[in-house]
Order: sequence, then C-alpha cells, then structure tokens
Amino acid sequence: MKIHKRYISAFAAVLLSTAAFAQVPAPAAKQSKPVLLKGATLHVGNGTVVENAAVGFDNGKITYAGPQAGANSLSGYEVVDVTGQHIYPGLIQPNSSLGLNEVESVRATIDWREIGDFNPNVRSVVAYNTDSDIIPTVRANGVLMTQLTPIGGTIAGSSSVVQLDAWNWEDAIVKADEGIHLNWPAMLIPTGDKERDERLNRMKENREKTLRDLSQLLSDAAVFKAAKADKENLKLSSMAGLFDSSKKLYIHANYGKEIIESVNFAKQHGVKNMVIVGAGDALAVADFLKANNIPVIYSGVHALPSRAEEDVWQPYKTPYLLHKAGIQFALDYDLSIHGTRNLPFIAGTAAAFGLDKEQALASVTLNAAKILGIDKQAGSVEVGKDATIVVSSGDLLDMRTNNVTYAFIQGRKVNLDDKQQYLYKKFDNKYKEQKKAPAGATTSAGK
Amino acid sequence: MKKILTIAACLAFGAGSAMAQETFPRNGVYDERPGLVALTNATIHTDYKTTLNNATLLIRNGKVEAVGTNVKVPAGAVVVDAKGKHIYPAFVDMFSTYGLPEVKRESRGWGAAPQMESKKEGAYNWNQAIRPETNAVELFKANSKQADELRKQGFGTVLAIHRDGIARGTAALVTLADKRENEVIVLDKAAGALSFDKGSSTQDYPASLMGSIALLRQTYLDAQWNNQNPGREQNISLKAFTDANRFPQIFEANSKLDVLRADKVGDEFRTQYIIKTNGDEYQMLNEIKATNAPLIVSVNYPDAYNVEDPYDARRVSLDAMKHWEMAPANAAMLQKAGITFAFTASDLKDKKDFLPNVRKAVKYGLPEEEALKALTVTPAKLLKAENVVGSLDAGKLANFIVTSGNLFADDNLILENWVQGDRYKITEVPSDYRGVYTLKIGNNTSKKLKIAGTPDKPELSVIGADTVKGKISFNGNLVTLSFTDSKKSNETIRLSGWLADKNLQGEGQLPDASTVKWSATFSEAMTQQDKKDAAKKAEEVELGKMIYPFRAYGQTELPKQETVLIKNATVWTNEKEGKLENTDVLIKNGKIAKVGKNLSESGAKVIDGTGKHVTPGIIDEHSHIALNGVNEGTQAVTAEVRMADVVNSDDVNIYRQLAGGVTTSQLLHGSANPVGGQSAIIKLRWGKSPQDLMVEGADGFIKFALGENVKQSNWGNTQTIRFPQSRMGVEQVYVDAFTRAKEYEQAWKNYNKLSKKQQAKTAAPRRDLELETLVEILNGKRHITCHSYVQSEINMMMKVADEMGFKINTFTHILEGYKVADKMKEHGVGGSTFSDWWAYKMEVKDAIPQNAGIMHNLGVVTAINSDDAEMARRLNQEAAKSVKYAGVSEEDALKMVTLNPAKLLHLDDRMGSLKAGKDADVVLWNEHPLSIYARPEKTFVDGIAYFDVERDAKMQQEMEQERMRLIQKMLNAKAGGARTQNPTIKKASVLHCEDVHHHEEESYLAY
Repeated sequence: MKIHKRYISAFAAVLLSTAAFAQVPAPAAKQSKPVLLKGATLHVGNGTVVENAAVGFDNGKITYAGPQAGANSLSGYEVVDVTGQHIYPGLIQPNSSLGLNEVESVRATIDWREIGDFNPNVRSVVAYNTDSDIIPTVRANGVLMTQLTPIGGTIAGSSSVVQLDAWNWEDAIVKADEGIHLNWPAMLIPTGDKERDERLNRMKENREKTLRDLSQLLSDAAVFKAAKADKENLKLSSMAGLFDSSKKLYIHANYGKEIIESVNFAKQHGVKNMVIVGAGDALAVADFLKANNIPVIYSGVHALPSRAEEDVWQPYKTPYLLHKAGIQFALDYDLSIHGTRNLPFIAGTAAAFGLDKEQALASVTLNAAKILGIDKQAGSVEVGKDATIVVSSGDLLDMRTNNVTYAFIQGRKVNLDDKQQYLYKKFDNKYKEQKKAPAGATTSAGK
Repeated sequence: MKKILTIAACLAFGAGSAMAQETFPRNGVYDERPGLVALTNATIHTDYKTTLNNATLLIRNGKVEAVGTNVKVPAGAVVVDAKGKHIYPAFVDMFSTYGLPEVKRESRGWGAAPQMESKKEGAYNWNQAIRPETNAVELFKANSKQADELRKQGFGTVLAIHRDGIARGTAALVTLADKRENEVIVLDKAAGALSFDKGSSTQDYPASLMGSIALLRQTYLDAQWNNQNPGREQNISLKAFTDANRFPQIFEANSKLDVLRADKVGDEFRTQYIIKTNGDEYQMLNEIKATNAPLIVSVNYPDAYNVEDPYDARRVSLDAMKHWEMAPANAAMLQKAGITFAFTASDLKDKKDFLPNVRKAVKYGLPEEEALKALTVTPAKLLKAENVVGSLDAGKLANFIVTSGNLFADDNLILENWVQGDRYKITEVPSDYRGVYTLKIGNNTSKKLKIAGTPDKPELSVIGADTVKGKISFNGNLVTLSFTDSKKSNETIRLSGWLADKNLQGEGQLPDASTVKWSATFSEAMTQQDKKDAAKKAEEVELGKMIYPFRAYGQTELPKQETVLIKNATVWTNEKEGKLENTDVLIKNGKIAKVGKNLSESGAKVIDGTGKHVTPGIIDEHSHIALNGVNEGTQAVTAEVRMADVVNSDDVNIYRQLAGGVTTSQLLHGSANPVGGQSAIIKLRWGKSPQDLMVEGADGFIKFALGENVKQSNWGNTQTIRFPQSRMGVEQVYVDAFTRAKEYEQAWKNYNKLSKKQQAKTAAPRRDLELETLVEILNGKRHITCHSYVQSEINMMMKVADEMGFKINTFTHILEGYKVADKMKEHGVGGSTFSDWWAYKMEVKDAIPQNAGIMHNLGVVTAINSDDAEMARRLNQEAAKSVKYAGVSEEDALKMVTLNPAKLLHLDDRMGSLKAGKDADVVLWNEHPLSIYARPEKTFVDGIAYFDVERDAKMQQEMEQERMRLIQKMLNAKAGGARTQNPTIKKASVLHCEDVHHHEEESYLAY
C-alpha cells in the first residue's frame, strides 16, 4: 500500500503506534503456563456465585474454580489479581450469522443462504470468516462462542459451534455439524380480503407441498443407512444423525400451533432431539414443550409485543416466565449481526424483568451449552471444562457496568482490541493533536 | 369547519326539462300514456316527519301531482288500493358507483421500475391521480341488475361517483328506473368527488397518504393559478377542477382519522366537504363533530369472529371486538351528537344487508324519524336536490316505496318500489297459513299438522306417534310438503296440493312409490303467544364502555393533571446543580414547580421516591411511531409533504414508549429522498387526538437524507431511474433545489413590491408548496434534520448550506460524525446518532460506538436516537453505552436523550431538564436510569401520569375481562345464528426510516 509522504509527516507517530490494529488482531497463542485469576466474584454459570474466588487453568482447561482460600496450594501459576472484578463463563450466542456475513446489505458478503429448499448437507462452518471485523467487537463484550446458523429454505443446512478467536474455521470448531436447521413453514392466516386470500390459498398449497416433501425426505433419510444403497445421497446421509441422537433438529418456529405441529411432525418421523428456535409463543404452549422435553432458544427479548393487547413488557418478561414454567431455554440476540455484542444485555433485560441474575447468566452460558450439546467442555466455570472465561470489572449483564478486562478462550488470552477502537484512537488522536497545535494548523479544508 | 357554500340557484332542478326523450325518433307508433295513478287509503309518510293516515298519492307522468287526505281522484286515474300499507319517499344513496365502469387498479408489482410521469395522454394534469376531467354522466350506463338490487332496498335515486383517483371529477344524480340514460339522469353534475386514494394511477407520486394530501393541496393552488392566469398553461384537468368545485364536494375517507385530515384540507381552501366515512367515527365523536362536516355513513357492520379456539381468538384485537359490538350504534351516537348524516349502502358486499342494518341502527338508539331523514331528506338536501327527491310533495319525482307496515319493523316488507312513476314489484304480502290442521293421507290414521314460523318462512311439524319436522312452502295458493313418517325413518313422504278455502288438499307420493290423496283440515289458528315467540326476540342492546384511544390500553377516562410531590429521590436535574440526592420534585399545573429539599405542598399527591431516580422525560429526536406512512420517496424533493398530516394517535407504540420513559418524539419523514417531508413533533399524550399530540408552538423541521437510501443503492436492480444515483448527484439536487427556491422567493418579492394597481395587471407567480418550504429554510424559519452516514456527504452538505446561506440544524444517524466533528462544531450543527449500530450496509462499515462521545467531546450538541419503535423504549440504556464505550460522564450521557435532543428541537426552554417553570415531563425510575435494571414507574407528560406501572397492571386485567365478555357475546351471537368470520391478521406496522413498501406475505403470517 502506497502511503502519502505528507500524511506520514503529519501523523507518523499516531499511525505507527496503531497501524498494527488496522487488521483483526492475531489470535492468541496456546496457553503456555498455568494462570490463576484471584480476588474476583465467580459466577459459575450454573446459578452459583462464589465471593472472593479464584479460577485456575492450565493447558486450556480449568483446574480450579472456587473460594480463593482453596487455591493456596496451587503452585507454578501466573497470578492475575482481579480483586473486585467478576468472572463469568464466556457467553454463547446460538442461532447466529456472525462470520457468515460481513455487510448485511451487500450480497457478495452473504454466506448464510444456499439456493434450494432442502439443504441438510450444506455446512455453515466452511464459510465461517474468522477475519470478520465484527467478531472482535463481539468478543470485547464477553461473547466468546457462537453457533453458525444457516438461514433460508425449509432445511437451511447444518450448524456448527465455534469459538471466536481462531486463525481459520477449522481451528475455530468447538463442535462441528451438530444440528440441522428446519424453518417450519409458517401457518397462514386469512386477511379477510378476497383478492389477497386467493393469493393466500396458493401459498397454502405451497405449504402443503413443502410439508409433503419434507415428510418424504425425513422418511427416506430415516432408512437410508440401513438400505445400504449403492449410490451415495448427500442429503439423506447428512440427516442420519437425527435418528440416532447424534444431531439435533433445530426447528425455527414462532406461532404456538406451529410449534406443536412441527414437534409432532418430527417425532412421528423418528427425530430424537429437537430444539425450538425463535419460539415467540413458547409460553402459550409451555405444557406441551415441557411434556415433550423440548428446549427452546428464545429470540425476541428486545422486541415489541406481538399483539397490542399484550403486556407492554411481555418480551422482556418472557424469559422469567419460561423459567417459571420449567422450560429449558437459552437466549439469543437476533436483531442484527453487529448487535451480537448486546447478548449480555438481553440477559440483563431478562434479569430486570424477574429472572434471577444468575439464571439470566445461565441462559447465555450453561443452558446454551446444554442445548447446543457442548456443556461437557463449555458453558460454566467448572474444573475440567475449557478455560473460556470472561472477566469484567462490573456486572457483565448491565451496559452501565459491563467492562471486559480479560477474556480467555481455551486458556488463550484474547486480544480485546478491534477495528472500532482503532478508528476511535485514530480520530481521538487527531483531535488531541488539533488541540495541541496552534489554531489554524488543523487539517480542516476549505479555509 | 366551514359553512357549506350556497350554490347558485341555477343549479336547482328545472322541472320537466331533464328527463324526457323527445328528440328520439320512434320505430312504430307512439305509445305515450297518461301515467295517472292514484294510490289510495294508504298511510303516507310524505317526508321523514310527516305522516298522513288514510291518504291518497296522485302521480302523473312520473311526478307527484298531489298528496293528502282530501285528494280527489280524477277520472282516468288508475286506482291502486293501498289499504293497510305504508308509503315512504324512496331512499337516496349519495355515494354509489351505480352504472359506472369498475375501477381497475393496475398492480405494477413490487420492484417495478419507477414511473415518473403520467401515462394519460393529452393536455391533462401532470399527475395521473388528478382526474377532475372525469364526468360520471359521460360514463354512466343504466344497469338493470344493479338497479334491481338497490330498488329492493328502497332506493330510488343515487349519486353515481366514479371512485377513481384523488380528484375524481363530477358525479351524476340518477334514478333507478329501467329507462334510457337520457331519462333517468336527474342532475348531470350534482357533486364533485375527492379522496386520498390514487386509484388506478400507476404513477409513482404520490406513494403515501401524506403525498396524496400534499398533491391535493397543490392541485387547489394550481387550479386557482390556472384560473387567474388563463392561457399560461392549457390544462384540461385544472380547468375541470375549478369547475367541479362549484358543486357540493364529496370526500371519501377510509377512517375516522382520514375524516379529520380531509376536513383540514377543506378548511384550508374554504370548502366544507361532505365526508363519506367507514363507520368508525363514533370512536372520535368530539373531533368529528368539530369538523362540522356532514357525513355519509356506511352501515357495514363487521360479523362476529369465530372465537371458539382460544389460541386463534388472541388474534382478534380488542378494538376489532369492540367495534363489532359498537358499530351498529355509530349512527345513533352521531345523531345524539347533532351531526348531520346520510346513509349509504356503498360498502356492503351484499346490498341485502342494507335495510336490516339500518333497522339495527334504530334498535341501537337511532330514532326512526332520524333514520328516515338520513335515508331521504338529508342526502337530497346535501345534493341540493331536495326539490326533486327526498319527500313526496307535488312536483317532485314519484319515487316512493310501498311497504307492508312500519318500515323499521323487523317483519316489514317492501312490496313495491316506484321510480319516476314506474312500478317495480318487489314482493307480495305472504298469506298467513299458520295454525293447526288435521292431516289425513290416504287411509292412514290422522295426524296433527302444525304450521308455525313466520308467514314468509313457515315451519312445518307433523305430530303423530312422534313429532317430525318437515318442509312446507307456498306458491300463490299451491302448497308443497315433505316430511318423514317417523323420527327414525329416512324415507320421505312428499305431498303437493292447493288451498281450498282454509283447508289444504291434493295428491302425493309415498316412499313405496304409490300415489295417494291427502287433505289437511284447518282446526285452529296460531295463538298470539306462538306468534310472539315466532317473532325474533328483541335483541338486547348492551354496549361496553368507550375507550380513548379506541384500542388496547385505551381508557374510559384519560388521566388528569395532578399536583404531585416526589420526595427523597435522586434527581437528575440536567441543570448546573447536577444530580441531587434526597431531593424533592413538585409538579403543579403541568409544570415543574420546584426542585429542592424538604418541599411540602398542601393537597399534593406525595410519592415516596426513596431509592428511586427522577429524570426529565426522554426525547426521541428520530422516531417514526404514530404515523400512517413514512416515505414519499418517489421524487428527489418532496418538501411539500407534512408528517403532521398523517399522525396516527391510535398507535399503541405511543403507550409502549411512555412505558420506556419517552415523553416527546420528532416524527420524521423517511430517508428515501434528498429532501423529504416536514416533521411533526409530538408529546406522547396517549388518548388525545392527533391535533392535541402536537407540541404547541414548536419550530418547523424537515428531513433531508444522504447516501445509499437516497441513491437507492439497496433497492434492487430496477431502481436505477430516479435522479440521483450517486453522491455526486445528491449535491446537485440540493444546489438546484435551493437555486430554484431563491428564484421563487425573488419572483414573489418582485410581485409583492408592485402597487395594487400594477398587481392587478401582472400575473402572480404560481404558489409552489415545495419551494415555499425551501424558502422557509433559507429564511431560518424551518430547520433541517439530515440523515447522513459518511464523512464526504456530511462535509458536502455543510458546504452546500454555507454556499446557499442556511444552516443544517442536526445531522441524524451521522455515524461518521466522529471523523468530521471539528467541522460540525464549526458549522454549529448537532448530531443525533445511534449508540452502537454498524456493519449493516457499506456506508456504516466505519461506524463506531464512540461516535457520540467524540462529537460530544468536541462540543457538538449530541443526542442518541432510536429510529425504531422498540429501541425507543430503551433509549436510557442506549445513552449508557456512551459511558461504556467513550467514557462520557453519566450525567452528560443522560443529557443525550433528554436535554440535548430538546436543544436540537429548539425546545430546551420548555423541556429536557428539571427546573421550575419547565413542562412537567418527568420520569420516575425504580433504579439508576442508565442501568439495564431500570424501568419507569411513572411517566408524566405535562404533569399527567400517562404511564403508571400500577395502573398498567389494572388496565391489563380490565382489558382481559372486557375481551372475555365480548368473546362470550360473540359465541352467543354465533349460537343465535349470526354470521361470523374467522380471526384475521391485522398487523400494526412498525416503521423505519427506510420503509417504502410493505412485504405483502408478511401479513399472512400467524405470528
């Protein structure tokens, strides 16, 4: 890149000091020595809080998590004093296009949608861009893992869980191809207008056809392995895991009757593990979900009520009410990709409207890990799990106090810088220099 | 609110001239008849309030010759004995499309390339929706099928309106006689017709309600100019517009709010419209009354909803349920309020519903006399045709109906409808055969046969060993019966016969194919009690309470202004005192009376604020709630459109945002074009009318926009026609627009300098509302909020403003403000931005969450806005992000959503801080207001607690009870045989800056 000499002479010092951050920061190196964080309040992620706690980790795994007194015997650890701060499990964002799309309005940057209605064989992880400018800004607020979720069509493809500090998608994998995403065809409601309802009838016919095709696909997939056909079928074999519990079926549905219809449909076709995603009406069908042991990824916390008559704060209160109803759930931030960094505040809102703070935390950590099937290695700060940990000087779930001072992913200390901070420093320095410089010596043009 | 202008008497009907066909040659011999008919012994309602018993109506040649109790029947008259029957003037429907071609709306489809110009060829108006050159009389073709439908409901005369476009030309008053057009036209031009609906126009402009309103305004001005400057521009449409204005003006409105909007436009041009409504005007009775507009009222009542499935029933909104219950009471409520109105059948899909629905209105409290008035004299008067139709006096048209009894009784039948003296038989009085008979079939044992029900719908039961129901029908004096032998049997006995004296007899066929003779001998008449039971049980009219606004969270009574003393709270004054602990705030007469320690005030409602926080109300500088439309993006410059024209006071988001502490919002035009429309600044006074929401005396603002939206970058491949398509072009749009504005201003200055004498000789410049608005900007009378993202365009805009001699007031969004904050400071412009949005399109890839902080640090007045109905409820949290990302102090952060937007809106002398004398727009929070755990407990606007968390809980409970009551009522109505409809989807639209079109599919989705 050719740089203008004039430019260099004016701001050489600034540029040289910050140029290194113009790119996404380099992923952290493998943990080389054991680390002990001490003095903080530990929020385990499973509802437990430990005051004056310590957390130790080595080789990327947590070796100690508990009262500080119990860590005295540990030796050879690099001690990091985080007295007065808070330790959390790294937050997990399920159901996300982070890294599959850089600029939402630019088609060339969209990799979350494939053509065709049934794409169970399509794998999101291979399109994951670890060099997305957005990812570091998300990490900086404490979100350290995400589920790469394809969108579009009826079966959009399969998702994988990744951690957010890697050189490439392969390194990023926490769990590959863990589930298949089904967008349940929406139930259609007449509008009362004759002309429009003719359109509606056509749409209804399409819906019925889709459901027939889906039924056929699931039926064929369920027996494909046993049939030992001499020709491979990528679609059918990619779905085998749905019938032996090794893959989950994520059903994206919002309307209560859609939720019931879709779960029964999948069950009838032999699908073992289902998760409802979106789940706007989950409360209305809580008994059904509970009876069928279906967990929920609830999307719409920062949303308007779906009906004028509802409690104005209904979406804010829903997580608490789901909890009260005994439904296993996680929360996701679904308003935009760049907004993923607000995931902690979605949980904060749930806490502001009835949910216990530690339960709110669990809804973006351990519960998410359980639903995504990664709770053996992630989701809480417990011995034996990956050291994927966030330290914040204040309450992580409140934007007023959220201030991430350290983040570790599998024991690696993550660089918390990002493009936005680079730009901030660049222009903040510009104005500081202007203040120092005599009046009239600024870069202001047109004078 | 203007008096109807009296139209010159020359328009009045010239008797005998309009309706002959003397000029037509005949094929064959002439067959003119005297047409002299006398209807005698009738109860004649000569007009809505006059009834003559045992009277005679004499008609000759299609006109009333005489009416009265002493009318002598001349020799040669055909006498029709109408004993026991009633005669009423035939009804007049002044809002009909009778005999006119159907208006075909050409759907151009989502994503079609723009159509900038009219497709109508010829010397017509520039806009395809302005078609005042249409004369319904030229399109009119008598249509016997439609006429028959309307005559059956009692109509004799209708106003035929071609319902196409915003200016629709003239309408014709015609009778429903089955005659040649030349004979049925009463007034060829009886009224002018207008609406906000562009109809069949395929031209892009106007694409919004506020665009339609602006176009109508400009058309009035253009027509005046064209009229005053003949020959400057030959324009058939504008000439016709002026011509059509001579007649009563009928405006079709689609909602109560459109009634208010239409009336406002009428007032501006000194015209009192007669407004066709859709039947919901009872919901804003006071405001509707204040318009003084006569109304044309629809009797299109919604069917009950199918609410058996509790899950689906949730889709039926409270207002839809309440409207189902109250719609039939609309007319009665209008009448009680003293509003003049006429009825129309135009909205009824099935015209057969008309008379039953009018009767329902009577049952719901409308006096019969008033109902008849609304069917006859009122429409006649409004059309200046009261000398021709609407009552039965000598000289008027012989348009009347003959009924079996009182018109408004449920069992009344229209027997005949006479139009222009021609008799159209509708139905006969059915004979009453009800009673008990002894039935004898062949040699079988006798059974009892009972005929019950009503005379026109008799019901049959046959009583032998058991009682079976059967079918019976009469045709003249012929009768047909069918029934089974016993309840268990599925074999039917069929009998056919005739009436012989009071008995029935005839032949029939048994299930075994044998024929038999049968007879049914009359034994006793139906008892009075049975007759009473047969008549439909009178519907009990019980209505729920009115609520304001008429939808969820509306209240029977609006909260009142109170004297309130909040004690011992943490008070964020936003004044030099800063944040005060353990402090009291006194609210009185809608103002902040005092802020201090240990305050007391007798009679004040005291609120313990211990542990709580008090802040000024949140002000959203960039909002699109409470609007019926956002973008008129069809032209690069649409300064003429006004958001104040389309404020929707029913939007529940007003209430939801009060629950987020918002008290004032600037409702902006969208960002689809470089110069958008004029803003409306409202206070969230939930329950008040659009007019009462407006902030009194606020400065005028307007939306400008730059960048990708304006150049239509993300609108698909077809949107490549409208200038500009690049940031280069955007600059030129401004330079050009303001250059024209300056020339326009100069032209007016030159003209105004002339003496009166000179002015009389000189043509005045054409008033142009678009340029007038730009002149306001040049003169510092209107202020700009400019949607902007990248530094190049921000800089460009400031340079254009400097060159042209005006200031940009606010850059909104301004995500790269941090790159040019120094220049912004120099220009004196403020910034109103998002806290942390970025990466959703190319022009925001360099956006940073420290933007607000940097602008603020450089001394730019900085606000955080929403542009989103949901986020607006959390603006306090968005402000908190400036503390997090850029280290702004907490007090300064709060100012970004209170005092600073007040400054940007020039309202900081009244709002934005807690200081004695300022408006009592105050929020009481349960927690530190920048915390995610904070939520308002009370939100005051003008000292009125429009949101109160405790009242909210109560309202939710009451709302649920009201829904349950209505659901039960609907279930009962359905069980009683009422028509029903399935719950449908009616989604409230949540609008954003960039919204131009709606995706239709979305509206079908259940969730």
